[in-house]
Amino acid sequence: MAKTETEKETPKMKPRPIVRLGIFLISHSFLVSVVCCTAGVLALLLLPVLAKNTYISENALMPGSASSLLSNHDIAEANRLVNELSSLNLERKDAGIESQKILARYMSDLGAEVSYHKFHPPQNHFHPLHFFSSPHSGIIGENFSCSSYGVNTVGIIRSPRGDGKEAIVLVTPYNFGRSDSSETLSLSIAYSVFSLLSRVTWLAKDIIWLIADSQYGEHESVAAWLRDYHTPSFTGLVSLNADACVEGNNLYISKDNSVVQGKISDGFGRAGTMAAALVLKVTDRNGLWDDTLSIYAEASNGQMPNLDLINIVNYLAVHRQGLHVQIQKFWSDLDLKWLEFLGKTFELLGKVARSLNPNWKFGIPASDYIEGTTTLASSLYYQALGIPTGPHGAFRDFQVDAITLEISPRVSSNNKARRNEFLLRGGRLIEGVIRSVNNLLEKFHQSFFLYLLTSPSKFVSVGVYMIAFALLVAPLPLVAASLYADANELDFGMKNDKYTPMDTASNEINITFRSWKWLSAAKEVFVVHIWGVIVLLLPYFICQMRDWSPTTSFVSWVFLAMLSLLILYLILGSPFSHGYSLEKGEWAMLKSVTISAIFIGLLLMSVVNFATAEIGALLMVPMSLMAQPLKPDIRAASLRSFFRVICNLVLGFVAFPPVTFFMLKGIFEGPDCINLGDFWNWLESLWAWNSATYIYIGMVHLPCWVLCIHILLHSC
Amino acid sequence: MWFKIYSNNMVVWLVLLLLGSSLLFSSIDSASLSSSTDTTMHTNNWAVLVCTSRFWFNYRHMANTLSLYRTVKRLGIPDERIILMLADDMACNPRNKYPAQVFNNENHRLNLYGDNVEVDYRGYEVTVENFMRVLTGRHEAAVPRSKRLLSDEGSHILLYMTGHGGDEFLKFQDSEELQSHDLADAVKQMKEKRRFKELLIMVDTCQAATLFNQVGVSVVDRFTFYTLAFFERLNIMTMPH
Repeated sequence: MAKTETEKETPKMKPRPIVRLGIFLISHSFLVSVVCCTAGVLALLLLPVLAKNTYISENALMPGSASSLLSNHDIAEANRLVNELSSLNLERKDAGIESQKILARYMSDLGAEVSYHKFHPPQNHFHPLHFFSSPHSGIIGENFSCSSYGVNTVGIIRSPRGDGKEAIVLVTPYNFGRSDSSETLSLSIAYSVFSLLSRVTWLAKDIIWLIADSQYGEHESVAAWLRDYHTPSFTGLVSLNADACVEGNNLYISKDNSVVQGKISDGFGRAGTMAAALVLKVTDRNGLWDDTLSIYAEASNGQMPNLDLINIVNYLAVHRQGLHVQIQKFWSDLDLKWLEFLGKTFELLGKVARSLNPNWKFGIPASDYIEGTTTLASSLYYQALGIPTGPHGAFRDFQVDAITLEISPRVSSNNKARRNEFLLRGGRLIEGVIRSVNNLLEKFHQSFFLYLLTSPSKFVSVGVYMIAFALLVAPLPLVAASLYADANELDFGMKNDKYTPMDTASNEINITFRSWKWLSAAKEVFVVHIWGVIVLLLPYFICQMRDWSPTTSFVSWVFLAMLSLLILYLILGSPFSHGYSLEKGEWAMLKSVTISAIFIGLLLMSVVNFATAEIGALLMVPMSLMAQPLKPDIRAASLRSFFRVICNLVLGFVAFPPVTFFMLKGIFEGPDCINLGDFWNWLESLWAWNSATYIYIGMVHLPCWVLCIHILLHSC
Repeated sequence: MWFKIYSNNMVVWLVLLLLGSSLLFSSIDSASLSSSTDTTMHTNNWAVLVCTSRFWFNYRHMANTLSLYRTVKRLGIPDERIILMLADDMACNPRNKYPAQVFNNENHRLNLYGDNVEVDYRGYEVTVENFMRVLTGRHEAAVPRSKRLLSDEGSHILLYMTGHGGDEFLKFQDSEELQSHDLADAVKQMKEKRRFKELLIMVDTCQAATLFNQVGVSVVDRFTFYTLAFFERLNIMTMPH
């Protein structure tokens, strides 16, 4: 008898360790979320300390191992070209065409193949489907006016002993007929390099020099040329667009004199796949103590070129030409005390660690830390915006690594020797980069594609910055699970008091009911997301009114958004009223589903554009984790609940997208230039560039903000 | 003489390799060894020169091998007793600023490529399999005599190899590796088949100090550079027999 009893008593099996760990974390979800969030923010602030020095990953590149061949003879040639261009009378109506002819003549004298590329600038419509189309499509069907077109000039040097399969592209944006002296300087640097490359014996790839017509925007001309380059038409005609306005084309070409016409064609000149591209601009920035080089690398949706390309340029500029290299920085003129304090703290910690153990070398000086943080913030912001920071962004759409180089002379003087020295330095830099890329056998593949720069020679790779994001996002599923469990238990506990144990049938029905309660919360979350999509699409209609000012458009947009929310609320009959409504656990269920939605949205966005997800997580995670109905806290009136109320209000206010935008603008540019229309312009730039950040704001950030506000104002 | 010049670990490896090969010989029946060295006469000299890498940035390995080739040929070993294995893509590479010329020095005094470089295994024929076949003499019937190591038991053979190497291996043309035990096996087979009287193995791997040049790549490795410089001072008249 005793044996059977002991047999019947099966011992309680201990659950597996990972299940136990999960249950432990969920039951202590508050502590875990506080720890993880602070660790996430701290990790983000620690990133400049964890940055590594850059190095050349691809052994074949060997930048700087050859001495430069550019000499003053090439500079003199370039000066001849510049003199001829400047002697053109700019008042003439066809000054642009004349300068193009001069350039074409010089290029074909070098032995290069010259061709013209005609393009029409696209209209700036908002079309919802543009976010999902590739850069190849979409332009053919548009209407354009034949009178507005731009013409790029393209020169190609074929490598004498190479196989002609690959090319290196050099782009100089130039406004034909309406240029200033800096743009002409960039032309002269490019021409001197081009003339040198037509004579050297070490060329293994073809060289393309694109003089992009920048009257309709630099990016647009380069993008149009790339589109036509990568979609060859085999019907013998140039392209559909140009043929639609035939008379302009013929008039342009046939008036050339016969000497030039031999080498100039109206067919499209191509040179194989592009190994790398450099966009060269010379700008006039006064007050610099040395010739400066600024590098811009971000392309659309936060994509970056291979880090090796930046490393080559940085190495050659610093170690060979003695230029001062810089990358965009935020807040460089602001005196942020808290940042200095943080920098000094880290420096102190590093010194302490080194005194404990000489092998622990992770401290950096406070000034380096401040510079690293400002550069990191700027890098993160520009990647998050998803808008390319220069014409090089057009190349990334075709998987070509490209950067924009902006060289500024020390003083803009008319001193000829000073200017020639500047041209020589710039030309040698470009020649060195081209020679290095010339050595490549394959596309750039060795170095990083996902990174953040904290200085021109320091970077943080994806494996390190992912940790900050993961720490911020990790408490979300835990809190969601714990809220769900709490909501279920609470009702179960409440109901148990009221029902007798014999009422098992209704108990079972209630249990079934309870386990599907999250459906109503899910329905509300879904409806709010649909509203988010509607808000995203509203500007399509607002843009049809062409005369409205940005402020009017913004205000009307807000008004229409609130109207549509009201309509949805009325139509779908307020998902808040059900048979078993207004229970204590219901806002918990809603919060749980909201947090799950935020988690999924952030994870999906981190795949598309990591920087947007990081900034979004910084704004959304604290607010959503802290959200609780305000009424009980106000009723309770204790210090803790008061503190909670304040936190919730502040976080809820700050996370609203327009408020965030205006707050940041006010901090960095001064409070007097806040204009409602600025936010509309900013958003317009997002959808004009087909940035995924726009979709993120509308489909993840805004709905979740509305849901959190609803939780705050929940009446229970 | 060349051991004194620098102290990188390549020298240590070279010494060890020589010691290892001598240990290998002594592990075989010493009686036969001593009898073979005593009774056989030195008949001829052979050289097997192998460059195991290709591509433009490995220019210096090509220059190393061509330096030894030039030296060996100038000082008496004719082409029919030199087996030269080269990828041979330097001289006519489009990236070469001086086409058809290969230099070992910044002053460009010495063009190692010249007019009469006879390469036996060229391009993609430089593989581990072909190398082992050359050493052991196990060829297919169709392989011509110029590609065979036709040494006998009185031959003195110089085996020179250069390229990228690492811990117990040598990298062949970016896709294969020659392990040290493979090389030891081949040498043992050569001993069994009595294919040499004396064998000198010289290996110069990369990561030795290199020299930069107008050509834009590292041009030669230091060991071979000094070896070449030493041998340039000798000529066939003054060399002791």
